[in-house]
Amino acid sequence: MKSERRQSRLGVIGVIGAVLFSVLGLRMWFLQVVDAPNLELKVQANKTRTVRLLPERGRIFDREGRILADNERVLSITIDWNVMRDSTDRAELFARLAPVLDVSITEMEDRYAGPIGADGRRSGSRYSPLLPMPVKEGVGEDVALYLIERNEDFPGVDVSAGWNRQYPYAPLAAHVVGYLGAITKEEASQYRDLGYDLNERVGQFGVEKIYEPYLRGTPGYVKYEVDSRGAILDEIERVEPVAGNDLQLALDLDIQQYAEQALETQLRLRRFVETCQAKDENKLPVKPQFPECQNLKAPAGSVVVMNHSNGEVIALASYPTFDNRWFNSGISGDKFAQIFPKVDDPDKSILVNRAIQGQYNLGSSFKPFVAYAALDAGQLPGGVAYKYFDQGSYTLTSIDEDTCQVVKCVFRNALCGGGNSPCFYGVVTVEDALAVSSDTFFYKIGEQIFSERGGQPILQEEVRKFGFGSKTGIDLPYESAGRVPDKDSKRQLVEDGVLMEGESPNYLVGDNVQLSVGQGLLAATPIQLAQSYGALANGGAVVRPLVAIALLAPGTPDAAIAGVADLSKSEVVLKLNTTNTIRKIELPTEYRDAIVRGLQRVITGPGVDSDRYHATTGERLFASYPYEVLPIAGKTGTAQGAASLPWNDSSAFAAFSLDPNQPYTVSAYLEKSGYGSKAAAPVTKCVFMALANAVKTPAVVPSDPLDLTSTLVAPDRSLPSNRCLGGAAYGGRD
Amino acid sequence: MGLPLLNRRPDSGLGNIRRSGGDPSRNIDWTMLATVGILAIIGVFAIYSATFWKVAGDPYWFTLRQVLFLIVAIVVVVAVMAFDYTFLNERAFFLYGCSLVALVLVLAVGALRGGARLSFDLGPILFQPAEFAKPAVVIVLAAYFSELREETVSYSKFIGGLVLVGVPAVLIILQPDLGSAFVIIIGALAILLMAGARLRYLALISLLTVMTVAAAVVAGIVDRYQLRRIEAFLNQNSDDENLKNLVLQVRFAKRAVATGGWWGKGYLDGPLTNGKFIPVQQSDFIFSAIAEQFGLIGGAIVLILFALLLFRIWRVANLSKDVFGTYLCTGIFGIILWHAFQNIGMTMGIMPVTGVPLPFVSYGGSSLVAFAIMIGLVESVHMRRLR
Repeated sequence: MKSERRQSRLGVIGVIGAVLFSVLGLRMWFLQVVDAPNLELKVQANKTRTVRLLPERGRIFDREGRILADNERVLSITIDWNVMRDSTDRAELFARLAPVLDVSITEMEDRYAGPIGADGRRSGSRYSPLLPMPVKEGVGEDVALYLIERNEDFPGVDVSAGWNRQYPYAPLAAHVVGYLGAITKEEASQYRDLGYDLNERVGQFGVEKIYEPYLRGTPGYVKYEVDSRGAILDEIERVEPVAGNDLQLALDLDIQQYAEQALETQLRLRRFVETCQAKDENKLPVKPQFPECQNLKAPAGSVVVMNHSNGEVIALASYPTFDNRWFNSGISGDKFAQIFPKVDDPDKSILVNRAIQGQYNLGSSFKPFVAYAALDAGQLPGGVAYKYFDQGSYTLTSIDEDTCQVVKCVFRNALCGGGNSPCFYGVVTVEDALAVSSDTFFYKIGEQIFSERGGQPILQEEVRKFGFGSKTGIDLPYESAGRVPDKDSKRQLVEDGVLMEGESPNYLVGDNVQLSVGQGLLAATPIQLAQSYGALANGGAVVRPLVAIALLAPGTPDAAIAGVADLSKSEVVLKLNTTNTIRKIELPTEYRDAIVRGLQRVITGPGVDSDRYHATTGERLFASYPYEVLPIAGKTGTAQGAASLPWNDSSAFAAFSLDPNQPYTVSAYLEKSGYGSKAAAPVTKCVFMALANAVKTPAVVPSDPLDLTSTLVAPDRSLPSNRCLGGAAYGGRD
Repeated sequence: MGLPLLNRRPDSGLGNIRRSGGDPSRNIDWTMLATVGILAIIGVFAIYSATFWKVAGDPYWFTLRQVLFLIVAIVVVVAVMAFDYTFLNERAFFLYGCSLVALVLVLAVGALRGGARLSFDLGPILFQPAEFAKPAVVIVLAAYFSELREETVSYSKFIGGLVLVGVPAVLIILQPDLGSAFVIIIGALAILLMAGARLRYLALISLLTVMTVAAAVVAGIVDRYQLRRIEAFLNQNSDDENLKNLVLQVRFAKRAVATGGWWGKGYLDGPLTNGKFIPVQQSDFIFSAIAEQFGLIGGAIVLILFALLLFRIWRVANLSKDVFGTYLCTGIFGIILWHAFQNIGMTMGIMPVTGVPLPFVSYGGSSLVAFAIMIGLVESVHMRRLR
């Protein structure tokens, strides 16, 4: 390039470059030296603002580490409120975001200003003005990246990471695990005091609720400096959140699943069974105002499997059950109401854990404790050797004949052999009475323990030792205490108008007779049934049932198998199953042996010989049970329902293992499902066969994703084979 | 230039005459390449510091991609260097045509984002034809004006040049990407100045530019958001809610620069840089990240590196054996100078905010490759200056 003029032009260009660079250098120097103090001054005049950083919630495992509650990282797209102030800007931004996020502009406007109310006005946003407004939750990583990369085109749009609760095995153990929900109005002040943000989701049911403080972890925060308009200028302080403790439950999902399947299968089968009223001598129904025959309703039930040596709850099933993922599924309120309808019919209640909240008559399954009471209170002359002549009915002796014209004085055994006469068991001991479930034996105790002791609540005090009438203290919310009826509670019931019109407010001998066979005003939960049978099994220790075994340090790693955590790499922070005995009952071996032998004969026989051979209530059913593998003892119970109609009979059964190496107690309660020996006993038998490894339990696998188009509260489940439910059942009410 | 043989220096070695002193491979401007390399390395570190928190679980997401872009850029530089630039003189219009086609296509079928069609969405990468129009326009103008015998540009020749730069500039304004359009016009102005255009021609171009932009604004092609940037630039202490984000963006950047002190706050210790305050810091506001973390010294080093780079380009413009090479280098000089000035200037509040990246430092593949082409061209001119 040879040209003087070009040389000089190039010089001009070079000079322009030099000038521009000098400007940049000067400006930088100016900013640092001259302007910096001004810019710093602005900082000091600013206020601060704290943004909470939410911790990852602790996970929940079964005893083997299967992950019952997990967390999924979700990315949410948020928009800074400031960029949306101007309506044109907002419309433009929403229009750009809509196709990217697949959210309608209407939806975004609703989030910004609240939905349009009946008066045509918007109700105001439900989101905190302090945090950026979430515009879509649960976007994919790709969408988030797309927006981050194109930040200049989406001013004020940001991605925030949060957690979504997952229940990989749902609906298994839904009533135990529970669910998260919004903080209700009533809880607001309590949670605010604990330092919660009111838009946090908290445990509202199951262990999610009861272990909420441990599972939640400790939130962190970032403190920002903001200018007078609230825009963030600088980060001052950051405290990272601490994840919540993981929780290991005592549940064994294999048994849990099998128990749930057995319960549901049995309830479905029972609905095919027709029951008919007893008939009088003219072959007409005894209660003509009711239909003669009706199918069993079998609407609900529960099963408890508990380790009676340490209280660990191995399984806890309640039906009807639900899929706890519905609570996190983001479905609309209408759809939610469709899935979880509000009903007055207690048979249909779903969000209630019947195993710990159901308050039931226990029927004959209550008799072992009455037997203990009679023995312990010295009500039976000769103790376990006491012999009673069971003629099929018992007439109260403490009431004079005139009164007997008005009140019921004659109590009968259940009817025998399809005929119309009550069973006649002949001479029976305590053991025999339990084995064949003689009612008259216990009617007599019920009367005399009351009338011969001046109306003192001896029976009540004795059975309360086993935990009846008070909460077991299980680590689940909303437990019921149940009721052992006495003077005070009866008066209360009458005052509350719960009982029938004309019922005496006084506790009468008849009430005690009813109590002695587990009927009347007795109310007990299936977990109490398990706890009390467990005390018989372990020699008198009433143990507190516990669903959780241990609190673990946060961050238990996953195992190689999907849906399972590696508990061998976990660190126990707090063992929960240590001192669990609530009280030790004085239970002399002599008494215990008599009671346990009676209960054992329920399973194995023999019954008693009187007018003919009377089998025990479980003998035929359990003939197909592998007793030598896992010996057990148990008792049936049939609780009479409204108007003592047969289709209102509820079925109870409780049994415990006699093998100290497998110390399990199982109780089952099936509402309106017929006799104890026909509904609850087969379920218990199935569960014990599973515990004895006598049946193959189906593998527990993580469930399919929740079908959001479905309106089923939980999918139907059933046992792969009904065989364990089978066996010739005892023919009578026990 | 004279006969190449007479310029030949004695060969080194024993009778090895295969590599002469005029061999292009012995005349690489290593200083220029080293300068660019250092800038790129500074860029990678700055990008990491501004983005490591952005992608959950992957702090290297942006950094890794930038490194991949750099590898591509190195290949491109080497490839372009190996080419004799005079070859381009004959094919300038073909390249230019390709570039125009890409610009038209992007208006028609480009990825629409934020109301603008700037790029083709090619899966993992965004291809921005405007970036490649920059070298293309420089090449075509250099070729066009190098045909000139005279020392000054005639009016008819000027009009031809005006069309050559005007068509792509208008296409880019339509996208709308005012920043890139300005860059091309500045490059053209530099070449025109070099070619000997009268001052009134240059004034005419400036006037036409202003009129075109005004027309685009009136026609509604340039959206409110882009206009606000200029409004915000003019009112940097405005309390206007509508301008707030734009004002804050620059204020944060200014603060980042201002509070760096002599040596900066330390790498990854910049509360503004590492605290999500400055939008698109990895591309538009990368200088603020450097200045906050490495202070006045760090910022000055970047300025000095750019000054050195520009000086080397200017030097090659002077050394070029032919006018075509001189024009090429002048245009590239103008483009890089404007990029650096515009980008650093807006970071410090003396220029309005436009999406113009800082060459070699900012995050972004298209611009990096485009600048690689430009550096390769300058090197090619330098390497072949003796033949």
